[in-house]
Amino acid sequence: MDIIVCVKQVPVTAEAEVMVDSSGRDIKKDRLVFDVNEADNYAVEEALQLTEKFGGTITLVNLGPESADKTLRSLLAKGTHEAVRLTDEHFDESDAYVTARILAAALKSLSYDLVLTGCYSSDLGYSQVGAALAELLGIPHATMVIGLEVLDGKIKVERELEGGTHERLEIDLPALLTIQTGINEPRYASILGLRKAMKKPIKVLTLTDLGLAEGEVGRDGSKVFLDTLSVPPKGEGAQILEGGPDEVSQKLVDIFREKGVV
Amino acid sequence: MEVHVASQELTREHHVLRCIQCGRCTSGCPVSTNSSLNVRRLLNEILLQPDLILSPEATELWQCTTCMTCTQRCPKGIKPLDVIIEIRGQLIESGRIQPGLRDALESTFLHGNPWGKPREKRSDWAAGLDVKEASGAEDLDLVYYVGCTIAYDPRLQKLAQDMVKALDAAGIKYGILGNEESCCGNEVRRIGELGLFEELTENNVKLFRERGAGRLMTTSPHCYNVFKNEYTDFTGEVMHYSQVIRDLLAAGKLKLSKELGWKVTYHDPCFLGKQNGIFDEPREVLGFIPGVELVEFDRCRERSLCCEGGGGRMWTEDVAGQERLAEIRVRDAVGMGAEVLVTACPFCLLTLEDAVKTTGDEEKIRVMDLIEVVAAAL
Repeated sequence: MDIIVCVKQVPVTAEAEVMVDSSGRDIKKDRLVFDVNEADNYAVEEALQLTEKFGGTITLVNLGPESADKTLRSLLAKGTHEAVRLTDEHFDESDAYVTARILAAALKSLSYDLVLTGCYSSDLGYSQVGAALAELLGIPHATMVIGLEVLDGKIKVERELEGGTHERLEIDLPALLTIQTGINEPRYASILGLRKAMKKPIKVLTLTDLGLAEGEVGRDGSKVFLDTLSVPPKGEGAQILEGGPDEVSQKLVDIFREKGVV
Repeated sequence: MEVHVASQELTREHHVLRCIQCGRCTSGCPVSTNSSLNVRRLLNEILLQPDLILSPEATELWQCTTCMTCTQRCPKGIKPLDVIIEIRGQLIESGRIQPGLRDALESTFLHGNPWGKPREKRSDWAAGLDVKEASGAEDLDLVYYVGCTIAYDPRLQKLAQDMVKALDAAGIKYGILGNEESCCGNEVRRIGELGLFEELTENNVKLFRERGAGRLMTTSPHCYNVFKNEYTDFTGEVMHYSQVIRDLLAAGKLKLSKELGWKVTYHDPCFLGKQNGIFDEPREVLGFIPGVELVEFDRCRERSLCCEGGGGRMWTEDVAGQERLAEIRVRDAVGMGAEVLVTACPFCLLTLEDAVKTTGDEEKIRVMDLIEVVAAAL
């Protein structure tokens, strides 16, 4: 079973202070570290488990700068086979649909039984690239997948819907699935594994390699563009309790009593 | 997915053939009472099974706290701890490890600490304090290596704050490494991630040189242990703070005047006591503090009971339903009538403090780090 996994490198912001940069259209990244997008990491693990079971190869496809090689290497270290990076200055500011267009152009020359993506990216969070890519490739898709079973020429998937509802579907292969976090437990890539992966080549493709025109990609090709980013203004009504743990918990209990919560 | 352990190579490399199955390793092992780890049986399996197959979880191997009792008690000079660490290394290479350990290792690689915290917040504990970074140009008495858990854990940040209070009171010229300080790698190595350990040591030794760390002082016995014994390229002097404070008190440079009136007991951290022979210094420090009465555990010094915080255990799942050794420790301390359980290790402090809560002894005893007791008497 040959699998393509589309992966994105994102800044790690969970514990960091996020600030808007001087352009007003991006966050300050100079002090942030970068890692594979969380949901994509689960997609890679799912691909690894499938190829361990059924054989075949895993090709990673990334749309990103040269610095994304760090993430690609860490995923190659886990046992994925090949990596393709799509890099061109004209790709900057592509919206979700154009991102799918660029990925689709790269996937045209590859053979696959299954395409996996994460269900959303932790930076922009549009959740659109997977579905748009499937449409452009002309293959069926399922989003928010939390379980799957490969049948003969088909795949059975379980989707996570709202309010704890699950949906089971049977889909013809080749298909595209967007993988939800929690579907598996991603493995660790050791540093020795990473050193070995440094020798694996990463194929780089540009706008012309993909046969795309300047006007089809980037800001010019996109229907959606990011206008401004801003930190939400401080709201009214929040009360910050100051002091040590004992003091703060006492104040909190007093407030609960006062408001009739307890 | 199974992991095949190269047991014949392990046997050769670690002289496992010398094993006479006497069982001293297991009888001394602190977690043999509350987990499925059995060191004697593990060595026997390595000897008898040319192809030792482990499940990727291999829960029992991750229960080892790397306290080193097995290695110290083996009458044949085998180092069972090294065998465990090497098998852990093979599990690491398979990638199939517990999520908590995976996240700690990935975070150490990305952020330089195992807690998923950004590097830019590493010196937040020093906010509002007059603490300077060592640049390498000054003539300093020592460079203070704070340590990851102390730098980020809100409870433990007080240790660093009390440390600088004591150093300032003694007129010591010191500097910290600021946000460039990275994980020491003691736990990383014991988890078995040797590649990451190499990377950390290389970068740290370079940083220590650049910042003029001729003498390096640590808060944690874990950092102390690895810098002192496993950083072969680092030529500077390494000291645990209990040694530094003891020297300052003995020389009369640090004076403690406040009468505390506390009955305390002292828990020997494995990485300070049994692994590095630092038993007397912390006790001598307590002796300098006015109004502190020290009562000793039955199991003290070399026989100190491990708190289960070492060897990666801060990031592994506990075995459900088993009594924690730290709980035994707290009950023993309460039984002796101690009001304060003193230790000199951040991991011991956290596990013992948890145990005070789980045993419901919060009204009877509190846990303090030695440096907190010192600062309280300033």
